[in-house]
Amino acid sequence: MSTRGLAYTGGVGFALWRRSLLELARVRGGLLPTTVAPLIFLLGSLGQFGRLDQLVGFPTTSYIAWLVPLSCLQAAGFAGGATGANLARDIEAGWFDRLLSSPAPRPLLILGPVMAAMTRCIVPVTVIFIAGLLLGPGLTGGAYGLLMLYLAAISFSIVAALWGITLALRAKSQQVGPLIQNGVFIAVFLSTAYTPLPFLKGWLAVAAPYNPVTYVLQMGRQATVSGIEPSWAHTWPGLLALAAMMLFFGLLALRQLRRIDL
Amino acid sequence: MSSFALERDLATQGRVITALAKRALRVQLRRAQFLLPSFLLPLLLLAVVASGTSAAQQLPGFPNTGSYVGFVVSGTIMQGTLLAGLMAGIAIAGDIEGGFFDRLLSAPIHRVSIVLGRVLGTALIGMVQAILFVSVALLMGADFKGGVIGVVLTVLLAALSASAAAGLGATIALRTGSLSLMQNLFPFVFVLLFTAPAFFPRALLNPVLETISVVNPLSYVVEGMRAALFDSAALGSVWGGFAAGIGSVVFTCALAVWAMRSRLRS
Repeated sequence: MSTRGLAYTGGVGFALWRRSLLELARVRGGLLPTTVAPLIFLLGSLGQFGRLDQLVGFPTTSYIAWLVPLSCLQAAGFAGGATGANLARDIEAGWFDRLLSSPAPRPLLILGPVMAAMTRCIVPVTVIFIAGLLLGPGLTGGAYGLLMLYLAAISFSIVAALWGITLALRAKSQQVGPLIQNGVFIAVFLSTAYTPLPFLKGWLAVAAPYNPVTYVLQMGRQATVSGIEPSWAHTWPGLLALAAMMLFFGLLALRQLRRIDL
Repeated sequence: MSSFALERDLATQGRVITALAKRALRVQLRRAQFLLPSFLLPLLLLAVVASGTSAAQQLPGFPNTGSYVGFVVSGTIMQGTLLAGLMAGIAIAGDIEGGFFDRLLSAPIHRVSIVLGRVLGTALIGMVQAILFVSVALLMGADFKGGVIGVVLTVLLAALSASAAAGLGATIALRTGSLSLMQNLFPFVFVLLFTAPAFFPRALLNPVLETISVVNPLSYVVEGMRAALFDSAALGSVWGGFAAGIGSVVFTCALAVWAMRSRLRS
């Protein structure tokens, strides 16, 4: 691609990213649902299951340390999913048809919302992380752990955005919104959400090791769980899982985008 | 009004309430966006909590109920009924925005019947949920010592819980008339759920939550279900559950009727 072509591509991507973010400035409390829900889950799960940290062999003595990365991932997933729901609204309103008839390269039409998802997830993730720190776990993983938590959360928001975009392009209706968010919810909770692998029983003990989110959670938990020390061994499975999910849902979204052309 | 006219009016209102309840049921059971949160989501959380936190049975002070899934299913029923109540509120807000509510208001029926129709429909959904969730728990290995009577009492408590939640949902929908606001209330359902001993016994909750749970009427309803299912007074009081449930229904329905009158005045 020529320099001019690259500049054009960058300009279009930037404009679509800005448009997605403008909504946050225009709609008051637009970030509230993606922040409040995980925060309530964090506090509620802590209140309900907080004594689980007393189990022999639990990797931390503070249950909130176990929960904070889960809630951060949940928030990032919801923020990513919300961009899919917004795209469905754009399709219903006819705005997306105008974009399709423009000379902009097709992949850019999904790149903008994905970039917006990455940006908008930072606010809820930070709010939840700070709330978690105030409640006590401490940053046991230091700067490396913190970096891994944010990398895991931002990358997961991309995965959720691609999932949301795929569904929005397929359904072309805002009614797909709950399905997008429920998908994120299911993916996050069918993992080591509440307890580590050795404590899982029954079907979840079989399913969780095959769920890539389990490894993304492990990557993020390097920040707060003292029993998961920051190391490459706890990082690469998460990175691999994220790359695989991004590739899978990215290809699905592009396939769906091609179909919408026909 | 003569006693004959009164009887005829009551019969008419009974038919109106039944018709509105049937409509509420049809709407909830036909549309995936209503079914998914009130049936699928609680079942998913039941499966996750039952498998993911069952190690809690090893904690000192955790009641011995045999299977863990049997213990937590009351929390699942509570979650389902709360979400059904929220869906009722969303449906009312949809009716307001769509204009159907205005048509109801112009019909020669009591305003209270409009609220009661929706509440009755949600109570029936709560009963269906309770039967489904208890059946799933049985399939997952739960053993309820309370037998059929325990299950029947639990289903009735679920109906009360769903009615109270529908009353609350109706109140907010009638006060605001906003569909988008109702849809954003989804996370707040979990505040009510998590401030009750839904999945853990009250003694093992976080101390702050344990204190809050005392004033949450749903605490007594969920413990009442547990007491009924396991026929054990140590897990709660069935009659305490009924008292809290009936009190909540009366209170929230009165609030909904007040909200409707305020709406009509404005």
